[in-house]
Amino acid sequence: MQKPAQLKVTNRFGVEKRLPLGKPVFTIGRKAENDLQLLSDSVSRQHAEIAYQDETYYLIDRGSKRGSYVNDQRVERCQLQHLDQIRIGGDDHHQIQFLDETVEQAAAIFRTNSSPRLSQSQWADRARAASANEELQKLARFVEVNQAFKFSLTPDDVLCLIVDAAIEMTQAERGFLMLRNEHGDLEFKVARDRDRNWLVGNDFAMSHTVVEESFKQNRSVIINDSREHALLAARQSVRSLDLRSIACIPLRRFQMSEHMDATTVLKRDVIGVLYVDSHVISGTISQTSLRLLESLAFEATKSLESVRLMHEEQEKKQLEVELNMAREVQVALSPVFRQPAHFEVAAQSIPSRYVGGDFYDLMPLAAGGTAFALGDVSGKGIAAALLAAMAQGALQAQFAGGLGLTEVINSLNRVLVQRSAADRFITLFCAVLDPDGRFAYINAGHNLPILVRTDGRTELLTTKSVLLGAFDFAKYQERETRLAPGDIVVIYTDGVTEAVNAAGEMFGDDRLVSLVAASASLSADEIKGRVLGEVVAFTSGLPQGDDITLIVLKMS
Amino acid sequence: MQIQQRSSGNVTILDLNGNLTIGRSEESFRETVRELLAAERKLLLVNLAEVPMVDSSGIGALIKAFTSVRDAEGKLKLLRPSRLARQLLTITGLLSILETYEDESAAVASF
Repeated sequence: MQKPAQLKVTNRFGVEKRLPLGKPVFTIGRKAENDLQLLSDSVSRQHAEIAYQDETYYLIDRGSKRGSYVNDQRVERCQLQHLDQIRIGGDDHHQIQFLDETVEQAAAIFRTNSSPRLSQSQWADRARAASANEELQKLARFVEVNQAFKFSLTPDDVLCLIVDAAIEMTQAERGFLMLRNEHGDLEFKVARDRDRNWLVGNDFAMSHTVVEESFKQNRSVIINDSREHALLAARQSVRSLDLRSIACIPLRRFQMSEHMDATTVLKRDVIGVLYVDSHVISGTISQTSLRLLESLAFEATKSLESVRLMHEEQEKKQLEVELNMAREVQVALSPVFRQPAHFEVAAQSIPSRYVGGDFYDLMPLAAGGTAFALGDVSGKGIAAALLAAMAQGALQAQFAGGLGLTEVINSLNRVLVQRSAADRFITLFCAVLDPDGRFAYINAGHNLPILVRTDGRTELLTTKSVLLGAFDFAKYQERETRLAPGDIVVIYTDGVTEAVNAAGEMFGDDRLVSLVAASASLSADEIKGRVLGEVVAFTSGLPQGDDITLIVLKMS
Repeated sequence: MQIQQRSSGNVTILDLNGNLTIGRSEESFRETVRELLAAERKLLLVNLAEVPMVDSSGIGALIKAFTSVRDAEGKLKLLRPSRLARQLLTITGLLSILETYEDESAAVASF
């Protein structure tokens, strides 16, 4: 490869840096791995690259959102010429110019020949200007990094950014960032050199004395010539490393108290350290640099905290998406039921969370009858919902297989004892209604359904059977009654009767029984609506404590 | 919830005091039963007289205790459940499985 071309990158403070394009593919983007990292929301994480092929440089857009431009023309792939202006996305904080050395050198010869000789004082001015430029560059870098913290970065991006900026500001050779783990020990998070390469193996050797001093005593340590430092001179680690300049800054988390004004620091907590070092003294670390570095560390810690919160927020959102999907699945498990001629039915389940441990089903049977099931799995949330789905599936399979009610429930109990977690169980009311009004049921530990006869008498349906999934020796035996036209059966879970109002009172069985008895003239759907409405009114805006499920059956 | 242990012959009586509901109380009850079984104390009478509330987790703890005692070839019985506890034990059908007594000496004699 001939002498590589360069990118001249000038930031909005007029500070320029030159990056040689000395590799086949030079990457540009928002992520820290890029050869040129541009911190702007309008720059994609992997935005573009400059490829060197057949002695020619090409700018290639990597499917970025906001596009890549050469001399203000949007390009997908474009051959680069000396002095071409490159713009990445909508980033107007940097001017990027492509410089082809071979062409530039020719021009430089021309310039040198024509430029006048500099006097002594002019040289001194140049040196001062260079030094001022250096300070300005540090400051600019500081401002740039601070602004970058506002962009949507991953915690790793932030850490790399801090280390790169610290190296740049101190002119150090290497930088490390360590964070405290849950055991209180420091753990390496970033180890990079000034060319943004990750350090490996022995390159990790560093002054642990300095790190510990900074971390434990919560203060910045700066050493410009380790040979003059009495303590360090004796230290094998520093001597064998031949380190000269070291700076180590504690990263502190500041927790503000809500009750005090924002300047009152309640608690300071060292969460890690930022460490840079060099073998050469030339890059001495000035007090200005140190102060900048300390400010950087402060901003970095704040930024890390907000990034962490943001990620937690995103994870929460992701979980929410999954829970919503689970809810949709659970809703889809609810039966779609064609109303038969001899009765009407209305049912609804309202989980207290996204998904619930309540389930209900209505299944037309091959023999002509209809099976009803309403169950409540102990516990709440996803674990309960999974067991509910399993129980519902087992019920369907067994009824579809033509088993009678008693067999179905005994078999379900055995399955649940064998398959479910030790201390999960299900209370279930399950019934089969035949077209002639015969109503067979088993109540396995469930709240007693209410049967209201047309003459106003009420009965509570029990078989005194124990809940399902707890005892392998439990036996279940169906009972039967007859339903006449106008009879109403209300099957419900304890979310209805145990709904609590602001005064701490429960809705209660008695209130439900009299409510249903007083609603005998209504349709099944109207009764369902009335009961749910009364429960909501009773709890008046309090959060729902438990899943609420209701089946109302009315004989035509 | 507090759990006091006392013995009457071979029978260990657990006097529970407080609600047997989800969380600490239910866990400490489970732990107590585990320890007793480990110490070969397998005849347990659980006194629920001072347990105003039992929820579904508490029911789960009672079921778990009953089955683990039974698996260890011991016996677990209940004494004087409060009104609400009895209601829940009735609804869930557990009264048909867990022997329940109102009189302590009768309960102890039944083991």
